[in-house]
Amino acid sequence: MFLHLVRRIGSSIPTLILVSVLIFLLIRLVPGDPAQLLLGDLATEQSLARVRQQMGLDLSYPQQYLIWISQVLQGDFGHSIQTGQAIAPMIIQRFGVTLSIVLVAIVIASLIAIPIGMIAAWKQNSRLDVGLVTLATLLLSIPSFWMGLLLLLLFGLQLGWLPVVGYVSLREDFHTGLLYLIMPIITLVLVESGTLVRMMRSSTLEVLRLDYISHARAKGVGEAMVLARHAFPNAFGPTLTLMGIMLGNLLSGIAVVETVFTLPGLGRLLVDGIYARDYPVVQGCMLFIASLYIVVNIGIDAIHPLFDPRVKDA
Amino acid sequence: MKLLACIPLLLLCGLTSAGAAANDTITVAMNADIRSTQPGVNRDGNTDGVMMHIVEGLVGYREDGSVGPMLAQSYEVSDDGRTYTFHLRQGVRFHNGETMTAEHVVWSWNRWMDPDTQWRCVSDFDGSSDLQVTEVTAVDDHTVTMTLASPSALFLANMARPDCGAVAVIHPDSLDENGAWREPVGTGPYKLEQWNHNRSIILTRFADYTSREEPMDGYVGGKEPRIGTVRILVIPDPATVVAGLQAGNIDVAPISATDARALRNASGIKIDTADNGLRNGLLIQTNAPPLDDPRVRRAVALAIDTEQVALGSSEGMATPSNSNVPISSAWYGEVQRTGYEYDPQAARELLAEAGYNNEPIEIIANQRPKVPSYDVAIIAQSMMQAAGINARVNTMEWATQLDRYSSGRYQMMSFTYSARFDPALMFEQITGDKTQEPRKVWDDPRAQELIQALSLTEDTGQRQALVDELHTLMIEQTPLIFLFPGVSIAAYRDRVEGFAPWFGESPRLWNVSITQ
Repeated sequence: MFLHLVRRIGSSIPTLILVSVLIFLLIRLVPGDPAQLLLGDLATEQSLARVRQQMGLDLSYPQQYLIWISQVLQGDFGHSIQTGQAIAPMIIQRFGVTLSIVLVAIVIASLIAIPIGMIAAWKQNSRLDVGLVTLATLLLSIPSFWMGLLLLLLFGLQLGWLPVVGYVSLREDFHTGLLYLIMPIITLVLVESGTLVRMMRSSTLEVLRLDYISHARAKGVGEAMVLARHAFPNAFGPTLTLMGIMLGNLLSGIAVVETVFTLPGLGRLLVDGIYARDYPVVQGCMLFIASLYIVVNIGIDAIHPLFDPRVKDA
Repeated sequence: MKLLACIPLLLLCGLTSAGAAANDTITVAMNADIRSTQPGVNRDGNTDGVMMHIVEGLVGYREDGSVGPMLAQSYEVSDDGRTYTFHLRQGVRFHNGETMTAEHVVWSWNRWMDPDTQWRCVSDFDGSSDLQVTEVTAVDDHTVTMTLASPSALFLANMARPDCGAVAVIHPDSLDENGAWREPVGTGPYKLEQWNHNRSIILTRFADYTSREEPMDGYVGGKEPRIGTVRILVIPDPATVVAGLQAGNIDVAPISATDARALRNASGIKIDTADNGLRNGLLIQTNAPPLDDPRVRRAVALAIDTEQVALGSSEGMATPSNSNVPISSAWYGEVQRTGYEYDPQAARELLAEAGYNNEPIEIIANQRPKVPSYDVAIIAQSMMQAAGINARVNTMEWATQLDRYSSGRYQMMSFTYSARFDPALMFEQITGDKTQEPRKVWDDPRAQELIQALSLTEDTGQRQALVDELHTLMIEQTPLIFLFPGVSIAAYRDRVEGFAPWFGESPRLWNVSITQ
């Protein structure tokens, strides 16, 4: 197991190098220039040249890449072109905001969605099943920004229960901080549980058709036990993989939700960085996100055998 | 799941805490964070707007774009036009309690002009352009003289520029022991309390602020910090701003015309507008066919109904004008009122005469929420098509459009020029040699001569004559078509008193108070 992990981590290094080159080139191939954006319509040739030199953009691409990657290897992600802030602490701070929302949302979503998915499969073709599937489909079809705005209008504006704008971090004031996280978490829970319900339902359906389930029932095992003890471990595998992908997706930034609820998260950092052509910020974020995907995937692979021993052999 | 259990409880706490803003705090929404706290160095429009609450210069801009004294009580110019003597106001205090003297003015000037500071306006004062300041001296505690290499009508106008931080007079405490920037210790009505990157900027009242006696006028005149705490929240999403205003979480916010219409009947919210110094128009690349023919350009101008474009792309809030000088400027007069008469028939005739053969004309536009670029382009497109011009809009992301603007690679472009207060600077923005500066739109030697004269002439009457001639020439040659100046639209809660949008785009929070 340990050796397996080491091998996985080792094999991800070429991926990261490739990613770093691609990010570096792609962001530079996009038209637009950070110096120009900084100066706007006031730019003159001299001032552009001066700002480009300050940003180190007057060097050749290979030189720029080598400078950047050697800094990264020393743990220095450089400084933002826009604000001059160091990028590594900025990413960590922003990631903290995203992480606190995403983790709570994923846990709540799976606690709600997994039982619902199994119940829908168990009661297949009943009115309950149709109702649950319809609801799940509706939820997964609603874009997150729309869901977010609806919640904002309901809880923030109509009922006045929750603050509409602003953000207080949990470390500064835990109680108030939580208030600002409720709506983003509900948004993610609603949007993501739709997908999870559908996934859990279909994999449970497949498992319930198998002979060993009929065998268990024939033995006289109760329905609750059949579902929990026999069906769940086998049906959960595909959903776990999906949760891994979902986690990677969400952790790499829920830019839309962050924008609607004015949360200073990783997604907004990246999107703002792209609009401003803030090369170091975009490069730093993307490298971080690529590593994140690798870590999440390794993590999910590591716990997979707990639910499905067959995976260990593969 | 402990957290799940707390949610109902938290919802209850929310009932009491949300929406109840403190009486001595005003909350202002801003669409993006400031870039730094160092005025005129790493900045954008938002940064300038916030900084003008914290620092002040010797002079500043008035409401109509003319220059007035701020930290200077008065100033005079020597007969040869080369020496400016500033008499400082006495008893003005910095945020750290120290009294401002001439030494501070000289120290600040040297700090800004030091190349290591990377002040953006160095090249405007060091002789790179026509203007060169050769000497700055403290004559006594309350008098400073500044000497120029040759007379310039633009010296004070440049000194007052918000993007230069109004050449802020700052205290050396603004720097740390290594000479690096720490925070602005200025003389403005509010102090910088806290900057939470990408979240908020907190300003607090500077209790020892001594106001000028004149009424408030632009960035000068009387200023009173009537509010204890100004909370500027960074909120990128306009829909969230609207919800925040309605919920009472936000007191003041610049908003778009579309949102203004939505909020028009909302209770407890007032909306005010003012024409500002931005200018919206259609740029034309004059060195490629078919638009290199002045008749084709004129036909485009005649095909466009300026009034309809202005009103249609601003929910009826903008004032139509083909002038480069914005309506609220002191330099906007009878001549500037003249422009293009909407006449599609005449446009068709001109096109036939020029031999226009349905060549496609691309109009580049962007969809940033702050500017009407896209709406203007779409309306212009249909008007041009109606007059027989094969126009089509191409929407781009802003960075890409800016790249095209700077390199001159476009046929037409729906563009918004940033504000300039002096007419010489306004025309300098659009005029120049395209081979040297591809971003310049109007490449005409006569226009450049007139601008040169404008930057040397002090006399108001003579300057107005030059501005008028420039306008007439611009309309005649049609290197671009100005359609309307920008509109500052502000929404604010009715508990806010004394707030008004103005010529500058950024909200001013001095002389504003909150009623219970």
